[in-house]
Amino acid sequence: MHIEIWLLILGMAIVTFIPRALPVLFVERMRFGKKTEKFLKLIPYTAMAALIFPGILTVDDSVPWVGIVGGCIAGGFAWRKMPVMVCVLAAIAAEFLIYAFLL
Amino acid sequence: MANKKSDYIMGLKLGLPVILGFIPVGIAYAIIARQAGFSISETVGMSALVFAGASQMMAAGMYEQGAALIAIIFATFILNLRHLIMSTCVVNKIRDAKPALKLLAAFGVTDESFAIFATNKKDTGSVFTFLGLITVTYTSWIAGSAIGAIASDFLPPVLTASLGIALYAMFLAILMPDLKHNHRLGLLVILTALCNALLCQCLESSWALILSTLMCAGIGTFFVPLEE
Repeated sequence: MHIEIWLLILGMAIVTFIPRALPVLFVERMRFGKKTEKFLKLIPYTAMAALIFPGILTVDDSVPWVGIVGGCIAGGFAWRKMPVMVCVLAAIAAEFLIYAFLL
Repeated sequence: MANKKSDYIMGLKLGLPVILGFIPVGIAYAIIARQAGFSISETVGMSALVFAGASQMMAAGMYEQGAALIAIIFATFILNLRHLIMSTCVVNKIRDAKPALKLLAAFGVTDESFAIFATNKKDTGSVFTFLGLITVTYTSWIAGSAIGAIASDFLPPVLTASLGIALYAMFLAILMPDLKHNHRLGLLVILTALCNALLCQCLESSWALILSTLMCAGIGTFFVPLEE
């Protein structure tokens, strides 16, 4: 048991619950301006973008293209309107083939 | 009384399609968390207490890279701020419920439960419908995490190595459909990625992530159109 990880979990639980609970406490007063609302809605997109790049280059510690190939597969499947789960599985399968036969 | 029960059951039914999405993603999260060094109880405990998939995956990834705890918690806060809007919308619909029930409902606000509840045509606005819905989402999220946490001990190394792409693949798959129809949003996403890559050169990567997320979302408000 790591104290550090439980502290992390507790901290995350608190900061995640705050935005969820605030509207309950201030029901009548929660009104957002157009700009604020847009800002909050854009955060998931920019966060995901930042999470993907450049992190995807380090999927494999020494071979950057491993992540790029997986990302292209997932992106390509998503472009063809495949469900999220199919895209993820396809990317995993591609990585599996790379590790099994190429590296 | 009978009303509460039928509202709750309606909620349970509304949640059924989410099971198919949450269990596999829960498994993927758990495998990433176990690889990052979390125990089974820590992996499942995080799902039970935090209940926010994308941020949990992000946290496990950042932890593995050795990010400071405070940076991970702050990044979680930023990523989950979006629930503020969703919770406002849900709470508005269940205005007449008791405060304790509303808080319980608020804990269950996720992208999925919000989307289903907000678009439900036969909606009664009952808090019990929402509680039924999140009973299903919460249970399947924890079940998926537990399955993944236990299964990760039995996976061959070549498969666990291949799972490193899962997080990125999921984010790409979520982003792509929206970017396809909104080119300015696509531009913003590319801008953010480049900005983050640049900031990574001079800052610790978790702070670069936070800064580029906030800064680019701010820039985006000036030129990205969003529907509704």
